[in-house]
Amino acid sequence: MTFCSSFMDGDSSTTDTTQLGITGEYMTGGTYVLQTQDDDGDESFNDHEDGNGSKDYFREQDIYLPIANVARIMKNAIPQTGKIAKDAKECVQECVSEFISFMTSEASERCHQEKRKTINGEDILFAMSTLGFDMYVEPLKLYLQKFREAMKGEKGITPVTVSEGLGEELTDESFTGQLPAGLITADGQQQNVMVYTTSYQQIPGVQQIQFS
Amino acid sequence: MSEKTMEEKVEQATNSKNVSLPMSRVRLIMKSSPDVSCINQDALFLTTKATELFVQHLALSSYKNGSGKETNTLSYSDLANAAEETETFQFLTDILPKKILARDYLKSLEEMKKDDDSL
Repeated sequence: MTFCSSFMDGDSSTTDTTQLGITGEYMTGGTYVLQTQDDDGDESFNDHEDGNGSKDYFREQDIYLPIANVARIMKNAIPQTGKIAKDAKECVQECVSEFISFMTSEASERCHQEKRKTINGEDILFAMSTLGFDMYVEPLKLYLQKFREAMKGEKGITPVTVSEGLGEELTDESFTGQLPAGLITADGQQQNVMVYTTSYQQIPGVQQIQFS
Repeated sequence: MSEKTMEEKVEQATNSKNVSLPMSRVRLIMKSSPDVSCINQDALFLTTKATELFVQHLALSSYKNGSGKETNTLSYSDLANAAEETETFQFLTDILPKKILARDYLKSLEEMKKDDDSL
């Protein structure tokens, strides 16, 4: 109870976790919990970590695509002057996972019906069509064609490696342990600066970024 | 169509491979569906690309139909409305419930508790 009251008084001591920008769970062993939203545990996985986390840390239905990538696509889709509310971004993040699961289970069903074990491109396109997304099918076929051509042109490089090297999350996953996931919160402006600084250091041979 | 400069070919190839979403994460989500064993590379690419199209589609539809005229902002309720009104997005209605105020929720919790106590 003592802690709660000091929090509400805006105590300026540095042990105040709200100022440090991390949730209570990262400090002492769970005597208090400060959370701005219920899914903080999931949030850190979704935004900052690769799928290396063991399944103990998240429920399967909470796997999302990184919010930064999703938000960027949304931003590019709407008129330039438009803005997007934070809860709308989070919501689309969830919708996306739902969409993927929706397509996959439909494609998987067709696969089983035809006694095959591997879901292929045709299954996915068929699922799109069946579920009301047939407007995507033609553009997707074109994209697939280009993708295949591009893959052919890169002999000796495993397609998986190449494609996964692109389009990774905007935050660099190869940070060393200096940035625990929980540090990056809506309040943690300082922490955001740390993110950018560290990522510059990742570029080989570049000591400093010159803005001249 | 066949006469292209080297630069154009390179640009096209880069754009065509270019997906803005991490395919590894997409695969993870796909694998979390029951009874899914193997996913071939084409299927993974198509799903990832389709997801991008879906995000664009959902964002733009919701924005256009929404109150964006005044606020210029895409909000949660714009999305919830799009899910209800557009047939294509109706699979989202379960995960896009309309929001209620906390005090209303707490009230209904209390009422539920009273019901339990009286049993």
